[in-house]
Amino acid sequence: MRELELYFGPQHLGMVGNFSITLNVEGDRIIKATANPGFLHRGFEKLMEQRTWIQNFPLVCRINVVEPDHMELMYAMAVEKLAGIEIPERAQYIRSIYLELARVGSHLFGLWAYANMLGFDTVANWAMYHRDLILDLFEELTGGRVYHIYIWPGGVRRDFPEGFKDKIISTLHAIGSCVPDYDNTFFNNRIFYKRAKNIGKITHEEAIKMGAVGQVLRATGMKQDIRKIEPYAAYDQVEWEVPTRTDGDAYSRIWVVRDEMIESVHMIFKLLDKMPQGEAYTKIPNPFKWKIPGNETYVRCESSRGELGLYLVSNGEDKPYRAHFRTPSYNHGLTILEKALINESIADVGNIMISLYITAPEIDR
Amino acid sequence: MNNTGISLKEILLSSFDDIQAEVTDEQRLTVNCKKDSVVTVLSSLKNRGYNHLALISCLDWIKDNKLELIYILTSYTEESEKGKLNILVKTKIAREKAELHTVTSIFENAEPYERELHELYGIHFTGHPRLIPLFLEREYKIPPFRKDFDTKKYVEDVFDQVPFIKDKKGKK
Repeated sequence: MRELELYFGPQHLGMVGNFSITLNVEGDRIIKATANPGFLHRGFEKLMEQRTWIQNFPLVCRINVVEPDHMELMYAMAVEKLAGIEIPERAQYIRSIYLELARVGSHLFGLWAYANMLGFDTVANWAMYHRDLILDLFEELTGGRVYHIYIWPGGVRRDFPEGFKDKIISTLHAIGSCVPDYDNTFFNNRIFYKRAKNIGKITHEEAIKMGAVGQVLRATGMKQDIRKIEPYAAYDQVEWEVPTRTDGDAYSRIWVVRDEMIESVHMIFKLLDKMPQGEAYTKIPNPFKWKIPGNETYVRCESSRGELGLYLVSNGEDKPYRAHFRTPSYNHGLTILEKALINESIADVGNIMISLYITAPEIDR
Repeated sequence: MNNTGISLKEILLSSFDDIQAEVTDEQRLTVNCKKDSVVTVLSSLKNRGYNHLALISCLDWIKDNKLELIYILTSYTEESEKGKLNILVKTKIAREKAELHTVTSIFENAEPYERELHELYGIHFTGHPRLIPLFLEREYKIPPFRKDFDTKKYVEDVFDQVPFIKDKKGKK
């Protein structure tokens, strides 16, 4: 059969986000795939070199549109490490709770995209509605719905408002009570099984070789989570499990996402129970005259997509000398996607791409 | 403190004679090596179980006229002690005609990182399978992430060329 070249995205209906793949197809089969990023390249890392330490906060959270909170955490953690700032215990707990809420919100957003792609419009609308409930919580806590700029060097910007704890609990109960509905309509649905089983399969060895992180690695049976390996915030204070699956296909990956959401919600309840009283932030030097001693650091955390890192260098000035984000979608979108698409059909491109949890803004930065 | 880091440092110092290694804060080991020994150091680390390349980054030390490359490795195995350690392998190369051997044969996911550094810092990686542009759409005289690239001047030169509406014929 004749080999054709097909441009998939950024305008293609099956594409989510500003990303493009060039496919070489023979009939319906993909022979070769070439990822083509750059539609969202805004040069954030260069811009960060021209702004003061504190001015960079509104910038870093815009690197990943879907989950800005882990980006804030990374930058705050790196600045704290360079400047030697200690954060109070209560702030650690608030950070953990806030980040887990962000993880649930991001996973619901991912579920929306995935369900939409497979034609489960009802489930997609539920997921979007439930994400909106979490955004309402963020709005009350920080004043912003999507970009919060809440995590700050030395802690968080403000403590929980009065009655906020009860609001978190009631919102999470409202979402949790719908889990049986999600299961019946989507996760245990035969159509989902047929569309996702054995699609975009990656073995454990391949995943390790190509640098997979997050759900992609956990779906191949490995218990790998930075929150366990190198605990930050208050993740070492409570008991929780790392959900895994063994098949390494799209079906396993989406099930890991579902289990992780439920684990996160349980973790938030445990953290809320244990949360101590006290200050929510320590005082930092005057941000207008803040110079950080020359040094370098590499910090990492587990974002909702996998290992997120930041390499930050200071040369003793009031601005960073270099910042380089290591984002999970970078490996997934540029190395693994090209391999995972081979021998699949054109109809499954979006399916595989969203199950790998790729977001274009994170790749381009 | 951190035994994994200290013992690995001893092993590295005994097997290579032209490197410097030190355990910086808690879980970080910094290894400085020569340009030519990067590939051997990285492959020996990979054989010891540090099989995950997290990042390849670059720093432009314009005052010393050097570019510094940083390879960040960690271990993705079931051994949790190794996984805690992050290794920063560093090397310095000249800014003019910057050239280095690729590490794509050791780490498959190094490919896009090296393409990015080629584009943003103008480093040529010999032996790279496809050193083509990754993000940028225009041609640049100076690679844009180098410190001597003037962002403001570039924006003025490129985007201020578009004429204003009032200058056009027949319009106010």
